[in-house]
Amino acid sequence: MNVMQTDIVAKPASKHSIISSRYGFTAVIIVLLIITVLSAGAAVSFGQVEIPVSQSYRILLHQITGIQIGNVQDLTSGSFVDIIWKIRFPRVLMALFIGAGLTLCGTIMQAAVQNPLADPYILGISSGGSLGATFAILIGFGTMGILGQTGVAFWAFAGAVGASLLVLLLANAGGKMTSVKLVLAGMVINALCTAFANFIVYFANNAEGIKTVTFWTMGSLAASSWDKLPLIAVSVTLAAAFFLMQFRALNAMLLGDEAAVTLGISLGAYRRAYMILTALITGIMVASCGMIGFVGLIIPHLVRGLVGSDHRRLLPASILFGAIFLIWTDVIARTIVPNVELPIGIITALIGAPMFMYMLVKKGYAFGGKS
Amino acid sequence: MNLNVEHLAVSFSNVNIVKDVSLKVRNKQFVGLIGPNGCGKSTLLKSIYKVIKPKHGDVFLSDLDVIKASPKVVAQKLGVVGQFNELSFDFKVREMVAMGRTPHKGMLETDNKQDQDIVTGALRKVNLEGHAERSYNSLSGGEKQRVILARVLAQQPEFMILDEPTNHLDIKFQLQILNIVKKLDIGILAALHDLTLAAEYCDYLYVMKQGQVAASGKPEDILTKELIGQVFDVACETYRNPVTGALGFAYLETR
Repeated sequence: MNVMQTDIVAKPASKHSIISSRYGFTAVIIVLLIITVLSAGAAVSFGQVEIPVSQSYRILLHQITGIQIGNVQDLTSGSFVDIIWKIRFPRVLMALFIGAGLTLCGTIMQAAVQNPLADPYILGISSGGSLGATFAILIGFGTMGILGQTGVAFWAFAGAVGASLLVLLLANAGGKMTSVKLVLAGMVINALCTAFANFIVYFANNAEGIKTVTFWTMGSLAASSWDKLPLIAVSVTLAAAFFLMQFRALNAMLLGDEAAVTLGISLGAYRRAYMILTALITGIMVASCGMIGFVGLIIPHLVRGLVGSDHRRLLPASILFGAIFLIWTDVIARTIVPNVELPIGIITALIGAPMFMYMLVKKGYAFGGKS
Repeated sequence: MNLNVEHLAVSFSNVNIVKDVSLKVRNKQFVGLIGPNGCGKSTLLKSIYKVIKPKHGDVFLSDLDVIKASPKVVAQKLGVVGQFNELSFDFKVREMVAMGRTPHKGMLETDNKQDQDIVTGALRKVNLEGHAERSYNSLSGGEKQRVILARVLAQQPEFMILDEPTNHLDIKFQLQILNIVKKLDIGILAALHDLTLAAEYCDYLYVMKQGQVAASGKPEDILTKELIGQVFDVACETYRNPVTGALGFAYLETR
């Protein structure tokens, strides 16, 4: 212990002080913003039909602003425009917002339950959503006309929100809600919903349906389209704006209930409001793209390692980082195996896990500080 | 700023932890609260600083009704150095101390130059200027306690409550923390476990036993061997320390 501490004193803090100065941090955010925009533009080039990146940028620029660079007539007449504008761009935007949203919800949940292991799905959302989706795919209205595809989304949302409300009720029962009770209630509801879902799968005589369920539980952005985007974009943007304004309460949360009260913030009401809001947003995201694991757990920790635990810095940086991360993992998911669309959850775990291990081992990550 | 606690009672699931306690801290006094483990000191303090809701009784900070007022208004006047200060997420020392500005700020307001100067000043007072960029969780127990004290100093309270602020600290840090607090020149209510330090630093003492005030008065008047025997269950003799002239205690054996 003593050896470790003298080690820290000896280490110059120069690497971190660049990011911690006010202007340095603004610069970091601007760079992340630019990378996000460039990524969104570049990501539409990749897929089964490769489109040169320069053409992609020109097509997007023309479609969005009407500005013409070079001979736009050539570009707009080909099939590239349709591929980019109708298929890939809404999907990339979806990845951007889902990535930002999952990271946002993960960061908030970790603060709300004061537990570094929390992720957006901790309130039973994952298993509740899975149960809803499994029900809709294998028993419900999976093949019946109008209720078809919206059916799965609706039931997943209902399951996710229903499960999280149950968890909140359970954690509130018998007196004060504590973070330990919340985590335990989440686990109990998780186990219950998983059992029901497995029960349905076990007795289902429907191989295609079971494959759909599996695909759904690993998450995918394949079903993205322009008409699904507004709901996600608006709810994630509003939630992000709201939580960016809550940095003081979020910081106080990390100190614990008692210290927060002595700083003038009584956490009970804040925590409940944050959780309900996060559960709703996560439910909406789960309904449209299934369960994309790992993003909401890992990205907040990665960014904490870079900018610290202060939510004024942590939130904007992690939202942008999450967006960039999911845009590129989705590119990998749809290009790494030719003609096959991998569930994105596989890629997020395959990339996220080693990144996190590297941080733990090499950087001595200590949940927001240097140990 | 005066603290007036009147007929305060706290109970958990029908067990009375604090029974009808009244106490006063007059302007700029350093008042100590002593008593054996489990006598209700911490519970009493927590119900004064709004973490526990008392069953009945009143708490007034001058004119401010602490129990009815919002936490934010109370936190602008009252600073608290609590007992439990471990974190599962880490902060830089400077960020930690800056959080003391929270009650003076709107939700959206960022810290300005003045706040930063206050934070720097608070760090200087506890001798941790050089540690501003260190991570809180990497500090030793004594340093952590000083960081918490700096956070409360940055809060610029007009009254301070300390709950065993010197627990687990080396004697040097015990003295350092009490000296800093003593020099603040504001009203202090502190739970202390070391009788020698309590006698040395406090202007007035309240002695608690089983949720009630067993005695109160100036340290040299009330800290007799009879009282200590009765409250702490320890046989002892009191004496004048030949070096400092302060009140000393020789513990003989537990009964």
